[in-house]
Amino acid sequence: MRLTYTSEVEAFRAEFSAWLDANLPDEAATAIRPRSSADIPAWARDFQRRMFDDGWLVPGYPPEFGGRNASLYKQAVFWEELGRRRVTQSFNPQGLGIVSASIITFGTEEQKHRWAVPIMRAERTAALGMSEPGAGSDLAGLTTRAVLDGDRFIVNGQKVWTSGAHDADVLLAFVRTDPDVPKHKGISALIIETDTPGLVRRPFGDITGRPPDFNEVFFDDVPVPRENLVGELNDGWRVCTGSLAHEREMLWILWSQGLDRMLDDMLEQLNEGAGAGAGAAGDPVVLDGLGGSIMDSWALRLLGQRQLARSQRGLRVADQSLLKLLGSEAQQKLALLMLESLGPVALDRTVPEGAQSPYESDRSALSWADRYWFTFAGTISGGTSEIHRNIIAERVLGQPRG
Amino acid sequence: MEFEFTEDQLELQRAVRDMLDAEAPPELARAVADGESDAADFWQTMAGLEWPAMALPESAGGLGYGWVELAIVLEELGRHAAPGPFVATVTQFAPLVAEVASPDQASELLAPVAAGRTTGTIAVDEGSGTWHPDGVQAAARRDGDDLVLEGTKHYVLDGAAAEEIAVAVRLDGELRVVTVPGSAVQAVGGIPVDPGVRHATIALDGVRVPAGRLLGDGDASDAIRRALEESVTAVAAVTLGACQRIFDIINAYTKERIQFSVPIGSFQAVKHKLADMYRDIERARVLVYYAALTLAEDHPDRTLAASMAKAGTGEAQRRCVQDGLQLAGGIGYTWEHDLHLFLRRAKVGELHFGSASHHRRKVARLALQAGAA
Repeated sequence: MRLTYTSEVEAFRAEFSAWLDANLPDEAATAIRPRSSADIPAWARDFQRRMFDDGWLVPGYPPEFGGRNASLYKQAVFWEELGRRRVTQSFNPQGLGIVSASIITFGTEEQKHRWAVPIMRAERTAALGMSEPGAGSDLAGLTTRAVLDGDRFIVNGQKVWTSGAHDADVLLAFVRTDPDVPKHKGISALIIETDTPGLVRRPFGDITGRPPDFNEVFFDDVPVPRENLVGELNDGWRVCTGSLAHEREMLWILWSQGLDRMLDDMLEQLNEGAGAGAGAAGDPVVLDGLGGSIMDSWALRLLGQRQLARSQRGLRVADQSLLKLLGSEAQQKLALLMLESLGPVALDRTVPEGAQSPYESDRSALSWADRYWFTFAGTISGGTSEIHRNIIAERVLGQPRG
Repeated sequence: MEFEFTEDQLELQRAVRDMLDAEAPPELARAVADGESDAADFWQTMAGLEWPAMALPESAGGLGYGWVELAIVLEELGRHAAPGPFVATVTQFAPLVAEVASPDQASELLAPVAAGRTTGTIAVDEGSGTWHPDGVQAAARRDGDDLVLEGTKHYVLDGAAAEEIAVAVRLDGELRVVTVPGSAVQAVGGIPVDPGVRHATIALDGVRVPAGRLLGDGDASDAIRRALEESVTAVAAVTLGACQRIFDIINAYTKERIQFSVPIGSFQAVKHKLADMYRDIERARVLVYYAALTLAEDHPDRTLAASMAKAGTGEAQRRCVQDGLQLAGGIGYTWEHDLHLFLRRAKVGELHFGSASHHRRKVARLALQAGAA
């Protein structure tokens, strides 16, 4: 056990930091903001392409796919540097982190270059078609049908909660290709161009009131070329769980950084000493809650580092559900604490538009009340907190399935 | 950062666990609880294995292992609800002496500790339950070549049994530490929740010791604070181990206990409690190990880390005691079942050296100060 990274890892950090100094877009160039999670402004497309071309987009990948074969610890300091500077890796996070990653892991060489590379270079954007009206926590119960008809599939059904679909060029959709076998064994993964006839996207707003990001996506006899099948036919559940587990050693960093940003903002507001913040900073009840959130932040980082160390030694990592549960609920607890501590000022937009980092999405400009709503995206999406408690009890603690 | 035990540390953990499984089974804690044993043999066994020497510096006759290794031992002691003077002697008396005493005094006092020949403890708190050195009112005055003490100390661990007590007192306007033989003070122990961890109230009025028992030079406030960071982390590590044992008992029991024809662990209401216990334990675990690591490397975060470890284990014990006893049902409520041995150890750990809430507020103040700087 030790507290510091090796000098080799620190040298890697310095190299990336220098690259960012030289390559981050001019702040003035960043005025145009994304309107959804699949809308990348031109300046951000240019930056993401440069990250890819110079091997800094996904450092763990080989140079061919935007990386430099970096070790886990080097990947960790890469994320630390992005977080410290509040720079978002991609404004199409699911496109890069899940869709292109799934194609890199499960796709053919041809698919990697035809689909994944353009998504990574931000030439195209992608969305993820998983949930359906009748398939949320029971994702494997999805019913969107794809029937093989010669050299193409014909797709019928509906997806929902499809973030950014209205701005995405392609979907990675999970569809039922065999209804006569156990539900996990009849699913396949298809890449579907969103301009295919019969595909209709209908954006809808969320509780925070920001511009719509979610979509309903309807499929009415949508033809999809057979070559767009990712992985084997009826082996889509493996792609699905593989995509959610992608970079499994690293996902905690996003929870950790999200929590740290909220904490930074809270400490700053309490230290400002003006208005309600002044009273809150001296309130033992507020201090009690704040201390707990600071501990959540440290615990998340340390548990994540433990996972890295174990993974580096080739040990099985089993704490993804723990980290997701801890991270999402810690954010919710902190937002609620701030909301209840500050009084009515928490209802106002606390961070002026444009005052935060120009290189990240606009979410931190929301009021504490809005940030509280937004934390439910964390405790509901990607497996609800209840599902993750079941997973911990059954897969980590060995309790019988109920 | 490499946040996992080394192979050597994992080997130590296995060896310590094996030894305690054999030498400190639940029967030992139970015998102490029933008033049938003082566990003196167990302390001699530990001394024979040089455990007291482990974390002490080589200059004081110790083996010079680090604080991470000490945390491994402490966690296992908690996991076994092991009785005896190890915690007070090695994690309270020894660090305070090491921080405050002159080098000559330190080697003289710590060599017998390292050899397992002397037991010790500290007397700092005077009733607030926070162990904050600013609250010390007990005083010493010079009388010829002697010091004469006055005041009362509370919650002194092993206060009625320890051979040497390092006492925080005011002298000439400074906070100082003086060692007092246990035999020289009047110690009154209460009826303990955990008979394996007894504290006592100590009356110092009129106690006279040679002035040579005054440790070091100058005001000892900072040194006391540093030593307390070790004591706090140690109680946290013991509490962590007790929580882990509670969890192990319950996680096994819910797989075996059949009701409505199925194991009760198949019910979601039970699963969710177990998942939350596991989450709180793992959260506390990394905070304890981090605190141990900052002590091992004397890192500036050690103050923050010690409080986080103490609060983290305090939260974990709250959940594990509450839900552990609840999930065990009627059988856990009996004296015959071993569960209560570990519930006691966990609950006592919350109340010694500052509660979870006290340390959470301290964490918040430290963060606000750092932000203001």
